[in-house]
Amino acid sequence: MAEFQALQTATAEWKPHQIAKAGDIATMARAAGDLAEVVKESLSLASAGMEVVKVLAQLQNINPLLIALDALADEVLIAIQAIKEAGFWYLYVDPYFIRNVSPDPAFTYGFEQLRNPAGERLWLEESPRGDMVQTTTTPTQVQLDTQKVIPHLATPRKLIAGGYNPYKGKGVEDPLQKISPYAKFTVKQVIQTFTDAFDDEGDIPRYRRVGGAPKEGVVVYDKDGNNYSGWDPVKEFGLQLYNIGKENVDGSIIKDYKAARKPVNTKIAPGKPNILGQTTYAGGSGAIAIIIAAPSFDIFAETFDKFSKMFTDIPEFAATTGKGLLESLNEVITPANTVIKLTMVDSNYGLFEAGDVIGGQIYGGLSKILEVNADSVVVSTMTTQKEVTATDDAGNILRYVTTINPNEDERWVDMEVIGKPYRSVDGLNPFITGDTVYEMEQRGTRTDNTPNYVVRGQDTVGLPPPARVYPKVGKVSMEKLAVLPDSTPPDFGGIQIKEIIPGWGEFFQTLENFVLQLKGMISDSAAFIQDMIDMIKGIEKFLEDLIAAIVDFLEFFQITLPSTGVYALYLPNQSGGNEGIKSQLSEAGGIPELGYAAGILFVATEGDVLIAGGGSKNPIDLLALVLGLL
Amino acid sequence: MAHPKGKWAEAEIRRDDIKNLMEKTKTLATMYSDLLAIKREGWENVLKAQLKKDAREKEKQNG
Repeated sequence: MAEFQALQTATAEWKPHQIAKAGDIATMARAAGDLAEVVKESLSLASAGMEVVKVLAQLQNINPLLIALDALADEVLIAIQAIKEAGFWYLYVDPYFIRNVSPDPAFTYGFEQLRNPAGERLWLEESPRGDMVQTTTTPTQVQLDTQKVIPHLATPRKLIAGGYNPYKGKGVEDPLQKISPYAKFTVKQVIQTFTDAFDDEGDIPRYRRVGGAPKEGVVVYDKDGNNYSGWDPVKEFGLQLYNIGKENVDGSIIKDYKAARKPVNTKIAPGKPNILGQTTYAGGSGAIAIIIAAPSFDIFAETFDKFSKMFTDIPEFAATTGKGLLESLNEVITPANTVIKLTMVDSNYGLFEAGDVIGGQIYGGLSKILEVNADSVVVSTMTTQKEVTATDDAGNILRYVTTINPNEDERWVDMEVIGKPYRSVDGLNPFITGDTVYEMEQRGTRTDNTPNYVVRGQDTVGLPPPARVYPKVGKVSMEKLAVLPDSTPPDFGGIQIKEIIPGWGEFFQTLENFVLQLKGMISDSAAFIQDMIDMIKGIEKFLEDLIAAIVDFLEFFQITLPSTGVYALYLPNQSGGNEGIKSQLSEAGGIPELGYAAGILFVATEGDVLIAGGGSKNPIDLLALVLGLL
Repeated sequence: MAHPKGKWAEAEIRRDDIKNLMEKTKTLATMYSDLLAIKREGWENVLKAQLKKDAREKEKQNG
């Protein structure tokens, strides 16, 4: 139950995003270019100091390679130029990992109703003779209202998640058809969250003053040079503002006001998609929505994990957030095994063994016994005291207290079992010391095909003693975690872009250090040359490793996300602004209503310049290209 | 087949930007590797020549 409480969190928010961190790539490409220059320079210096060296020609061979290297750096620079300015807003809706929306628990509490071995609910129907006869025929609401049919409830009465609900209309439906051990957030809810986010009035861009901002009342200017009055450094504004810029000393007109001006405020929140702070714009905008959805939680978890690995450049998926996504979802699917120490297990009804499912009567813990620790099965130590009276020959009554062992016949035993916990509909419930543990049996299945367990023989409680079925029984003495769960294959061996990106930095840093050392080297000492050779060998090894890592990484990216479970909606640039996207989002068909869903929505607004190979002014088309949607 | 516009559809999401970027980085690394290999070979030859020269001079000094 604690898990559902934890789901009360903040709402999904818009955030800015750039494809593959274009800024980082720009730095990388520039570094490559600079480096080529330094290598060239150091080469000529080295050559100058080595005039007598016969191998000069060989060293000079590097020149064509350097030229090619320069060209490649330029190519990377040009390639990233297009995406450098391609900024997006993204809205991430995740009910399970980050939990920025609250999934529905999807159950109500009710009285536990008996079920036959097939899982059908048992009812008591009034017969023509006036007595109540057991039936599995689902009654109508009228029959329930007139008490012609009543639910056959478990004795003693017990409130359970997904039990019989007497409220009008709720009793006829079988709650098992609706309940699941995993909280649900459906495709419809994800789309609803997407569209609602456009209406969040508080989610607007906010800019705060920077140091050296002008005083209150000074006229300020927007990006295009339009002037605004009402500047107040204490207030937050919805757009980027600038000062008038430097005055020209010779009194002439400032030709480049953009170069002369300075920003007076800085963005502190991106807000929902907007053009120059205007969220109700009518200009061009486009969107790509991706929804990961599945009918069962385990398939959803697997697809969602792969999806997250594809988008590690989105902060919510970053490896640095600690526990990995699959690990986190796995904990939901396969919680860690626990060791449960039981006491007073009544051997009259049989001892628990591997394969039995046990359930806590009061606190609702549920676990399948994987193993019984054979050494732990010992007779329960039970002592009690009783008063004994004895009359001597003189008729005096002597009273004394004696200690006795009520377990002399070794009926009750202690045992330690390793159990695999099962999720109940209301979460993962622990075994609490003192709770009575019963043997459970399956009665029907919930959605997700997970079994529904009830206390064994509970439907025979009202029968005459010979017909009753008695479950194995014991008491919880302690529960502790056993071993951590194994990860569920497939595992991608931890290949993540986050691990590769630092590699880029190291790569250039190492090379830079190398060429700097090379530059300072004008010496013909044999020892120094040997050092140089060793250093080059080291760097060669480093590059080899880097290339191997990249090959692995690329292999991972050969695996495209399985199309099953991943739904995309591409809304190309349109002139209706946010409202246009909103209506297209809610009207688009073609996606089934699945129970477990999460999603991400990218929105971009039309710019002034052509991008994506010159075909569009909206970066969304570039993103569509990159994601393989074009 | 292009993804339908304005309609939800199952999609095989790719990250061509990352793939391209990694390919480029790989090419850069490979080229630097080649460059260093040539350079190392050059230095090794320098060293060999130097050692040979030293040995010759030593021989000359020893007569």
